[in-house]
Amino acid sequence: MTLPDLLPVIHVVDDEAPFRRSLLFLLESVGWQAVGHDSAEAFLLAAPEMQAGGGCLVLDIRMPRISGLELQRRLRAADSPFPIVFMTGHGEVELAVQAMKNGAVDFLQKPFKDQIFLDTVERAVQLSLERHAANRRHQEAREVLDRLSVREREVARLLALGLANKEVARQLGISDNTVHVHRQHVMEKTSTGSAAELARLILRADPNGLD
Amino acid sequence: MTLLKRCALLFTIGLIGCLQCCAVFATDVVRIGTLAWQGSEEAEIHWSSMVSNLEERLGGKRIELRHFDLGAMAAALEEGELDFVVTNPGHYVSLEAQSGITRIATQVSDETSNPEHVVGSAVVVLDRRQDIQRLEDLRGKTLAAVSPDAFGGYQLIRAELRRLGLDPENGRVTPVFTNFPMTKVIDAVVDGKTDAGILRACLLEHMEQEGSVAAGRLRVLSPRPEIGNCAVTSQLYPGWAFAAASRTPPALSREVLLALLSLPPDTNQQWWSVPADYHPVHELLRELQTGPYAFLRETSLEAQLRRYWAWVLGLVLLMLAGAAYTLHVEHLVQRRTRELTQALDERHHLESRVQAGQQQMDHLSRLSILGELSGRLAHELNQPLAAIGNYARSLLRRQDSGTLSEAALRQAAEEIANESERAAGILGSIRSFARKRSRRQEICDIADLVHEAGSFIGGMLSKARPIELRHDLSLAERQVLVDPLQIQQVLLNLFKNAWDAQQSMDDEHPIEVSLEREDDRCAVEVRDHGPGLTPELQAHFLEAFFTTKPDGLGLGLPICKTIVEAHGGELLARNANPGLVFRFSLPLAHSTDTVNTP
Repeated sequence: MTLPDLLPVIHVVDDEAPFRRSLLFLLESVGWQAVGHDSAEAFLLAAPEMQAGGGCLVLDIRMPRISGLELQRRLRAADSPFPIVFMTGHGEVELAVQAMKNGAVDFLQKPFKDQIFLDTVERAVQLSLERHAANRRHQEAREVLDRLSVREREVARLLALGLANKEVARQLGISDNTVHVHRQHVMEKTSTGSAAELARLILRADPNGLD
Repeated sequence: MTLLKRCALLFTIGLIGCLQCCAVFATDVVRIGTLAWQGSEEAEIHWSSMVSNLEERLGGKRIELRHFDLGAMAAALEEGELDFVVTNPGHYVSLEAQSGITRIATQVSDETSNPEHVVGSAVVVLDRRQDIQRLEDLRGKTLAAVSPDAFGGYQLIRAELRRLGLDPENGRVTPVFTNFPMTKVIDAVVDGKTDAGILRACLLEHMEQEGSVAAGRLRVLSPRPEIGNCAVTSQLYPGWAFAAASRTPPALSREVLLALLSLPPDTNQQWWSVPADYHPVHELLRELQTGPYAFLRETSLEAQLRRYWAWVLGLVLLMLAGAAYTLHVEHLVQRRTRELTQALDERHHLESRVQAGQQQMDHLSRLSILGELSGRLAHELNQPLAAIGNYARSLLRRQDSGTLSEAALRQAAEEIANESERAAGILGSIRSFARKRSRRQEICDIADLVHEAGSFIGGMLSKARPIELRHDLSLAERQVLVDPLQIQQVLLNLFKNAWDAQQSMDDEHPIEVSLEREDDRCAVEVRDHGPGLTPELQAHFLEAFFTTKPDGLGLGLPICKTIVEAHGGELLARNANPGLVFRFSLPLAHSTDTVNTP
């Protein structure tokens, strides 16, 4: 690959080697870059980064020692960006439901059609890319807001909530003029023209920023 | 009737009876019966002088003389009507046995003063019958006699004829009985009605003297030389007996005897002497099988029956009882045999049914294990099938997009081949396990069975725990006599349980199997590192249809229990902390054991 960083990578974790190999072979057939891991530990040990091109995790739900669900729990705790597609056996619907509640993209009951599998992988990769983009916007919003001083951030929050300068001044116990000066600085530093734009920026950086 | 009146009547009756007794004793009647062989008249004449002489000597006692024929005298004695009897020797011997009379005197005659030889018989023929010279010549002739019971009148001669082989009883000589008096015999011979006749010794001589028979008209056959005055054909026997009835008082007998002995000879020159020995008479009667010895002749079935009817009846009853018993026993034996045969048949039937049922049970139990494993087995089969499908579709995709490389094709084809073989392997072991078969006993190495069961479950379940076998037994100590497939089934069940138990704990330990010598058995223990049994489970886990598994039938362990018990052992479970140990034992094979295949 000439630009490996820009291509999505599919990680397949299954202790059943022949089946795992067949999945890799299938993914490669449609051009995906795929990596196999024979256990959850092996995946954690490799600790692959999410590439810019996105990617996903195809996970067998029942494995010895660390099961699929356990790996999902650990990745969530570590804020891993990998969307997870679970593979379940017959009669493991309850486990699959649990996996979905925990944020899995989907679950596929073995044996599954190759097209459904590939479509689900595609969807997961797409999701990873979307998450990646959202992440980037969040990152940028935070960087913008980080340029504001503490007082400017307080003024920006109250303005974003739709308060007038006088009300802001009274709540912060400062003069109207001072509020006016802060407001000008905030608007300049964040390149926003209205209270509504300012509110969108704050929420992008922190969904709970206006509570 | 009042009591008083009744007493009075009884008294009156008693008084009359008393008076009668007194009357009998007062008159002192001596009742004498005589055998009237020549008729009552002759007898009265014959015995009258004796009676009058006796009366004289008995001092006022009156003698009542009565005359009888042979049968009537016995009847009179029986009725107690006589005190004494006078009769011929043969008749006396009969009555002696029959009525219990006792002789007190024997008549002797002048001719032979020996009282033992006083009665004899003569056989007479018409003198002109030259064809009859000796007794032997009577063969085929007729012979007149007074009566078959007459002693001197028949039986003495019959005895002589018998000795010559001419027993009248056998028809060699035909007897013609004329009845008393004996003169009828003379008439028969004289009139030519019979060829010969039997007379009492000396009768012919008397009658010739009297003139009633012309001298020389009749001739005596085979006269014996030793007799003096009378011609006699037969041997001589004691004379007539004077006998006392059984109820006659001894004092009276003594009185009469003394009187008798003092009597003078009568007109026939006969008198009474001391009682003679009647033994020869007994001998004669015995020889003739008559009188008291009549029973000897009763050889016919009827006669024997008459004499021995009680015995015969008893015997017949006994034989009947025996026969009935035998029949009963035979019947019982037959019935028991039938019942036994039936029972055996039923048992065979039942055994074959039980065996068939057992085989069916084995089969079902194996199927039930497969049933319990089915979810797992489906998963196991799905893996290779899914892999094969993946490769096949991948190849199509690559082919369609023109990216199919030689290396990729080869890799995919190899994987497909491997996976299909793996699937076939799983199916094969399921089929061989589920196949019906008859039970058999074989000598097996228990370690081999453990390994086979281990690899078997390993072959079916790719993620099965390894089985670790620990023991320090020699090869000989591991030879058990078992149905290998059944034991494999037990092991498989226990391994599967162990595997399930550890699966629920995500435990990494192998399943431990240990062997141990236990007398003449080999104990097998299977240990897992699962959660063990709660007391509640421990109470129920061997019951059929008790299960803790959502897909279980609850038949696995009960079937194991049945199989182990069929091998004479017991399936035990105990907690091992952590985990659970199942233990059972199997019989060791002896050197004499042979493989038994039904």
